[in-house]
Amino acid sequence: MPIISAELVHAGGRPAALELEQQLLSGQTLLSESADHLIEVVDVLKSYGEVLDAYSINLIFQAEQQFLLPFPLFKYLDGDKNPAKIWRHLIHDRINFEYAEYCMKAMLWHGTGGLDAYLDSDAFAANCAAIIRRKTRIDPLLALLNPLFRGFLPELIRTAATTHALGQFWRVMSDLFIDLAEAEADGRVGSIDAVVEFIKDGLVAAAANPITYGVEVDGEHFWVLPPEAGLTFLVDVAVPYVEAVFLRGMPFLGTVSFNAQAQQISPDQAQFAYGALFADPLPSMGAGIPPSLLMQDMFRHLPERLHQWYRERTRGEGDVRVKICMSFQKSMFCVTNAAIRGTFPQPLNSSEPAAQAANRAYAAAWASRLATARTDCLD
Amino acid sequence: MLSLLLLIPLVGALALALWPGNPSPGRMRTVALVVLGLQLIWSLLVLLRFDTGISGMQLQESFVWVGSIGLDYRLGVDGLSMPLVLINCALTLVSAICTRDINQRPRIYFALLLVISGAVNGAFLAENLLLFFLFYELELIPLWFLISIWGGANRAYAATKFLIFTAVSGMLILGAFLGLALLTGGVDFSLTPVTSERLAMGGQLVLLGALLVGFGIKVPLFPFHNWLPDAHTQASTPVSVLLAGVLLKLGTYGLLRFCMGLFPEAWALLAPGLAIWAAVSVLFGSLAAIAQQDMKRMVAYSSVGHMGYILLAAAAATPVALLGAVFQMVSHGLISALLFLLVGIVYRKTGTRDLSVLHGLLNPERGLPFTGTLMILGVMASAGMPGMAGFISEFMVFRGSITAFPLATLLSMVGSGLTAVYFLLLVNRAFFGRLAVTPATDAVEDGRLDVRLAAVAPRETIPAMGLAFAVVAIGLLPSGLGKLSEAASTSMAQLPALVAAMQLAALHPWGVG
Repeated sequence: MPIISAELVHAGGRPAALELEQQLLSGQTLLSESADHLIEVVDVLKSYGEVLDAYSINLIFQAEQQFLLPFPLFKYLDGDKNPAKIWRHLIHDRINFEYAEYCMKAMLWHGTGGLDAYLDSDAFAANCAAIIRRKTRIDPLLALLNPLFRGFLPELIRTAATTHALGQFWRVMSDLFIDLAEAEADGRVGSIDAVVEFIKDGLVAAAANPITYGVEVDGEHFWVLPPEAGLTFLVDVAVPYVEAVFLRGMPFLGTVSFNAQAQQISPDQAQFAYGALFADPLPSMGAGIPPSLLMQDMFRHLPERLHQWYRERTRGEGDVRVKICMSFQKSMFCVTNAAIRGTFPQPLNSSEPAAQAANRAYAAAWASRLATARTDCLD
Repeated sequence: MLSLLLLIPLVGALALALWPGNPSPGRMRTVALVVLGLQLIWSLLVLLRFDTGISGMQLQESFVWVGSIGLDYRLGVDGLSMPLVLINCALTLVSAICTRDINQRPRIYFALLLVISGAVNGAFLAENLLLFFLFYELELIPLWFLISIWGGANRAYAATKFLIFTAVSGMLILGAFLGLALLTGGVDFSLTPVTSERLAMGGQLVLLGALLVGFGIKVPLFPFHNWLPDAHTQASTPVSVLLAGVLLKLGTYGLLRFCMGLFPEAWALLAPGLAIWAAVSVLFGSLAAIAQQDMKRMVAYSSVGHMGYILLAAAAATPVALLGAVFQMVSHGLISALLFLLVGIVYRKTGTRDLSVLHGLLNPERGLPFTGTLMILGVMASAGMPGMAGFISEFMVFRGSITAFPLATLLSMVGSGLTAVYFLLLVNRAFFGRLAVTPATDAVEDGRLDVRLAAVAPRETIPAMGLAFAVVAIGLLPSGLGKLSEAASTSMAQLPALVAAMQLAALHPWGVG
């Protein structure tokens, strides 16, 4: 007999904004405490950490070694051009670095925070002019293109700067997530709350790390993001990254109508809600769904414990990438939770009414955005 | 040699019915599979012995059974019946393979399946009108049981409707056969064409009319199609496969062998009207299919439309059109069986066939992507996409009919276009978009539902893959089937009386129809 369809669908609860606000203010975690959640979050973040390590190395390689290269054919090879590696690349036995670039483009396009402000500043324009002057002297193609399209090379340099900044950000996050897995393995972390706290501590510790980026052109060193710009890890890169990738994102082809008349996509970019916390995991591995690349990369680095956990559920390996995506979404809620915890304007245990009001306003602003996210995965 | 095609399944059915003890359903299924496998192998051996150069009956076997009433046991095979026998043997095997969860009276189920297969073989091979009728009726009761015992919730209604329609069909056919004996004053029930010297045109028209309605119910043609969608909706997947793939072909076989073959002069006279009837049937079937919400009903109505092409080809009665008719019988058998198998898989996994409920089944990890892929292949073949069986058969039917009946052919081509419309509607609704198996309530809330369908095991799609392979193989290499049937279809088109009558009819005002 056919199975009744009601058994085939599962709907999670959706907490209201007020409930989320209370959770944030009372120091509760957004993701509920459970042994399964702990396995999912820690192990998926471990595989994510390993993938981010590769992404970070490649982004920094691209920004430094492939800078303004007209045809960067080997940009995903990290400078290693041996035939075996090229062959593995061609048969797709590799990390999908395209996804790292996709995130970089999301950051560049949404353009919020200190990094974006600096990329539009006069100081940056002056740096670009100096770099382009030197570069066009040795590159006839760019010498031809630059006078024809004045905005082209500066935009490529902005792209390279965002690429490098994201590479630096992911360097920190990769180490943090792998440390988290070690902490869980040796018993220092044993709950979702401890996971959130661990990530918060890591973010706070790296908050003031400087973000700088310099390139070599024709034997001369140029700053693209100089130390004197004063860009730092948390405010200028991490927060814009969360805004661009976790919250706003970009709609996936095939899931909404791109026809302006259908009015399915907001004309106001700030209202976009397609990021990692909002995305639907079910279409993973479908055409036009870029995070599928990340899910595949994480699948290749899946810890055995989580792999076994997935094997025992639903279709086993048949829908493992959808399940990774669901776990990943949970873990991203934990990271967001940690980021919010770490950036409250006042200490949460403060008894000052003004401090409490400021914290409440901060929590309310986050809660109203998260209320429409995929909070149904948090049960 | 041909008798074994009847004996293997019928003896198999008897063996199953008398099997000692209380064997498990799996054991029954294995026995049925072995018998049907033997039957298929034997039909392939018959194919090896078949001489494609001979246009008439061959490998004949006969003995006088009840001579006084003209009932002879005469079997023979020609280019028209050979492909149909093969498709019967293959599709009965497929329907036994895809019968997996029969726990209720498996012994009777598989025995009935074997009886149907043997009876259908008998009907295709019979060279005696009464013998044909016996086999035609013999297949009816087991099918009624298969629908009324193993069918859906409304099976009693559907089975009774099927029984009434098909019993009327049988009565009309028997009436026409007996009427032929009565009016010609003999007990000759052979397949010899009736000429106006033996029977006046009025008598021929009456008998042909009865046969047309009789076989028109079985095909089915509009307006006698009413039983088919209900029967399909209530029948289980294997029975639908058999019904669409094989049993409807008894009707079209009857049109070609008995209506056209026995009454070529009257046929030629009615041909323009038949062509218009065919076009109406095609358009009705297609338009009705567009309006369906149930995937199975949609495929059932598509059968009504696609069977109309065969009447069109038979009306035109040119060699190309008749060869096209044989191709259409084979390709429709394979394609509709494929589509019913796939709809069956969707129903088993989701519990529904409702197009307003199902969405996004092509979802790569959580949906039924391979089933969806085969479904797209199936609907493309059905819509006449080049490179698949549907194209070659429809092309030949239209090519062979357009000179004789341009208007009816053009209208049928519109029906072919409409096939693409309703099947793309089906694919778009059920297979594209976000995965869903529950009625839509709120777009945001529905987008959050986690859907957990069971995966389709590879073995579940093996029969469908076999059919899909055959559909593509016939589309790419049609000459094998063409050679098999060419001599027979050419000779049918060149029945001397038919040619003469066609020339007469060309002078008739209907001839421009």
